Amino acid sequence: MYSPEVESLLKSKKIKVGDRVRIEKKGMVYEGILMPRIELGDSSSLVVKLDNGYNIGVRIERDVKIKKIGRGKAIKFKASGVRIERDAAKPTVSVLGCGGTIASRVEYTTGAVFPAFSPGDLLLSFPELKEVANINGRKLFDLLSEDITPSHWQIIAKEVAKEIRGSDGIVLMHGTDTLHYTSAALSFMLQNLPVPVVLVGSQRSSDRGSSDNAMNLLSSVLTAAKSDIAEVTVCMHGSSSDDFCFVHQGTKVRKLHTSRRDAFQSVNALPFAKVWYKEGKIEYLRNDFNKRDKKVFRLDDKINPNVGLVYVHPGIKPEFISSLSEFYEGIVLVVTGMGNVPANPSNDKFAKSIVPSIKNLIASGIPVAVAPQTLYGRINMNIYSAGRMLNETGVIGQYCDWLPETAFVKLMWVLGHTKNMDKIKEMMLKNYAGEISERSEVE
Amino acid sequence: MKEEKINYKKLKLKCGLEIHQQLDTKNKLFCHCSTGMQEREPIKIVTRKQHPVASELGKVDTAAQYEYFRNRTFLYQVFKNESCLVELDEEPPHPLNQEALRIALEVALLLNCEIPNEIQIMRKTVIDGSNTGGFQRTAIVGLNGFVKCNGKKIEITHVALEEDAAAIVKEENGNVTYRLNRLGVPLVEIGTGLLEGFNPEDIQEIAYTIGMICRSTGKVKHGIGTIRQDVNVSIKNGRRVEIKGVQELGLLSKIVELEVQRQLELPRVEEETRTALEDGTTKFMRPLPGAERMYPETDIVPVPVSKELIKEIEDKLPEPWTKKLGRFKSKLKLSDQLAKEILRSEYLELFERIVENRKVNASVAANTFTALLKDLKKREKVEIEKLNEKHFVDLFEQLAKGKIVKEAIPEILKHLAKKSELPVTEVIKDLNLSVMKKSELVKIVRKVAKENPEMTRDKILGIVMSNVRGRIEAEEVMKAVRKIKK
Repeated sequence: MYSPEVESLLKSKKIKVGDRVRIEKKGMVYEGILMPRIELGDSSSLVVKLDNGYNIGVRIERDVKIKKIGRGKAIKFKASGVRIERDAAKPTVSVLGCGGTIASRVEYTTGAVFPAFSPGDLLLSFPELKEVANINGRKLFDLLSEDITPSHWQIIAKEVAKEIRGSDGIVLMHGTDTLHYTSAALSFMLQNLPVPVVLVGSQRSSDRGSSDNAMNLLSSVLTAAKSDIAEVTVCMHGSSSDDFCFVHQGTKVRKLHTSRRDAFQSVNALPFAKVWYKEGKIEYLRNDFNKRDKKVFRLDDKINPNVGLVYVHPGIKPEFISSLSEFYEGIVLVVTGMGNVPANPSNDKFAKSIVPSIKNLIASGIPVAVAPQTLYGRINMNIYSAGRMLNETGVIGQYCDWLPETAFVKLMWVLGHTKNMDKIKEMMLKNYAGEISERSEVE
Repeated sequence: MKEEKINYKKLKLKCGLEIHQQLDTKNKLFCHCSTGMQEREPIKIVTRKQHPVASELGKVDTAAQYEYFRNRTFLYQVFKNESCLVELDEEPPHPLNQEALRIALEVALLLNCEIPNEIQIMRKTVIDGSNTGGFQRTAIVGLNGFVKCNGKKIEITHVALEEDAAAIVKEENGNVTYRLNRLGVPLVEIGTGLLEGFNPEDIQEIAYTIGMICRSTGKVKHGIGTIRQDVNVSIKNGRRVEIKGVQELGLLSKIVELEVQRQLELPRVEEETRTALEDGTTKFMRPLPGAERMYPETDIVPVPVSKELIKEIEDKLPEPWTKKLGRFKSKLKLSDQLAKEILRSEYLELFERIVENRKVNASVAANTFTALLKDLKKREKVEIEKLNEKHFVDLFEQLAKGKIVKEAIPEILKHLAKKSELPVTEVIKDLNLSVMKKSELVKIVRKVAKENPEMTRDKILGIVMSNVRGRIEAEEVMKAVRKIKK
């Protein structure tokens, strides 16, 4: 957006973004289309698209003359106009949009990104989809993944429940940053799934020919249409190359890189399958998933969002731990190593034990679960004295190899069902959706 | 056809030039990889596909779609230190390289361009796979400039700072292999206005002039592939054909001539892009890309250009190359050809430093840096890259002090390239190339003459020469031999 001074100058000249303008400045003359300014850069410089396609910034100073020489066209997308024919021989897949870059289209003049969720839009951008399945497309909401909250998980769960009848599989397009929180939440909320529910995102923006969106979407539709994996899964690039996608278990997957295509990896578990999209082939890596059948699906979306996820660190203050009771009804502590927290104070003024604070939280009725900062590996609080002291406070998570985010989502879901501390503990330690594995596989 | 002289004015030959010159920066334009392009063995190969992207009109760029239908797979070679996640399109670009920006602004100012207040980086759709992202990042750094060439004012429409594309290695069965180390190397693209009323040689001369201006900064890369020319050619009633990637400047006029001939022989000329081949002919590459291919790079903050920065660069602009050429000829007594060669050489700056303060014959120095080095590399496979500045400075120091003669230079350089850790003085000693006293020469000449009384002077000269080569000027040997009584 432009600065207020520039905005008022434009207003006084009746110039709108998109108009063709002529700018004179110290003998220089620029003609082109006035562009909007995205959040970056000098807000008192006009952005002008020259006829050669390039944009430049022209700083508005006293000696600048600006004139409107042509009116701009409103920038909007035309309807896709793609005719959708149904093929009774092909499976039907519902593609539901939650936002993110995966199914967005770029308006190339400004670089602005628009959502594109209708089946027509999808088939326009990804014509290969119709060779795999009949596509039903629908937008649930359009949010960047960092803005998605537990109530959105409930909306998604309810919408998936509606789609199950009449679909051979469901694909959810979602932003990637918190994709693994949503996949964990759906894993608990959608029980006895008769068909696959596949979450998919894209790491590289959809404007570029190299975006991973096409391969990820195609692979997820393949998984939804053809695989036997009636579970909540995440389908994303398996490597930096465009060769295969992994189908990850919804509770065992995490975003482990800020930008790479293969940012999503299974932790403490193998992925369910590899999808070779070019060949249309699904290669199973495990067989312990729920298969497609006419199970009695159950939606169980009760949730208590008042749970905090807290990272333990050297020098963490016991007062801070104690204060968590003001905000939350349950806490997941992300602890060091196999399950340790500062517990053995020396004379150092920074070293204070947080064990008493944790004990007090639990005594006041706030369940505290623990999960490892290392992500990989299992909690075992028997090994070191700090762990033993922590374990004695009554924290939940001994011997668990769950991901911090999964434990966090699970505690919300459990607290949506009971307030009884014993019941909470029992439910937390029960394996509902593969979130806790008993064996640590050799890879 | 060959003998027939083509009247280009009558044919209304119109050309446009786009010159791409790589900049000699430490790092790439949008990441911190080296621009060295030295690595030969890839450490990894990544395979990618590209997908057509719809524009706001629901249309796909014709050029883009064409490439898509070729259904190719791209294989990218990753090189240590010279490619990272940014080149692999696995990480957003880092901020614009300021060193590259300064060089590009310098070129723009030398070409009398206006500099925008704020530089906006754009994405130009390129889906032949040469850019892993599917677009090339480019930004205007100068507009509406001009350059004088043979007294004529040539319009420079724009100077853009952009990232180089990956270099193609091979293409077989729809699999295209690219080297990622060239991707992201900064380059300036210089575009001329429509060139009308010129013949093909003039077009080549204009390209040469622009190239020399780039080189005058002393901050551009030298060698094969570091400067590439694209040329648009059209004739009366014809259409615009773009020829890309002319690497050899000397081929440019021939390429234009051949393209005019090609177009004359065709019933109908299509708008298209063609690739320049080594023999001056061209082959079809793709239809001309549409105008919809440019949109903003939203991952990089636009860069303001302050008046102070422009002033700072203006104050340090290099001496115009034409002036330098005149000075080299008049003051340094270089021939026109040698002066032009040393001006184009990557050793120019070192040459100037060496001849500035020393009593070194400029022609000898210029010749060493141009013909001699080229010869050593080509014919004797000497690794001249191993020779550093200090080697040359010390070498010419010894020459200026009269410790060696110019005839010793090739041997010393050959040896230095092999043992670059040795000081020049030691190499001179090891090779026994210290200058010989005249009295010593006279002794040798007398001895040879005495031992071979029946020999002619020419034969004696031959024997003496082979004994003293590189230790004393040939002229001195001849003088001494002439003095023998016969």
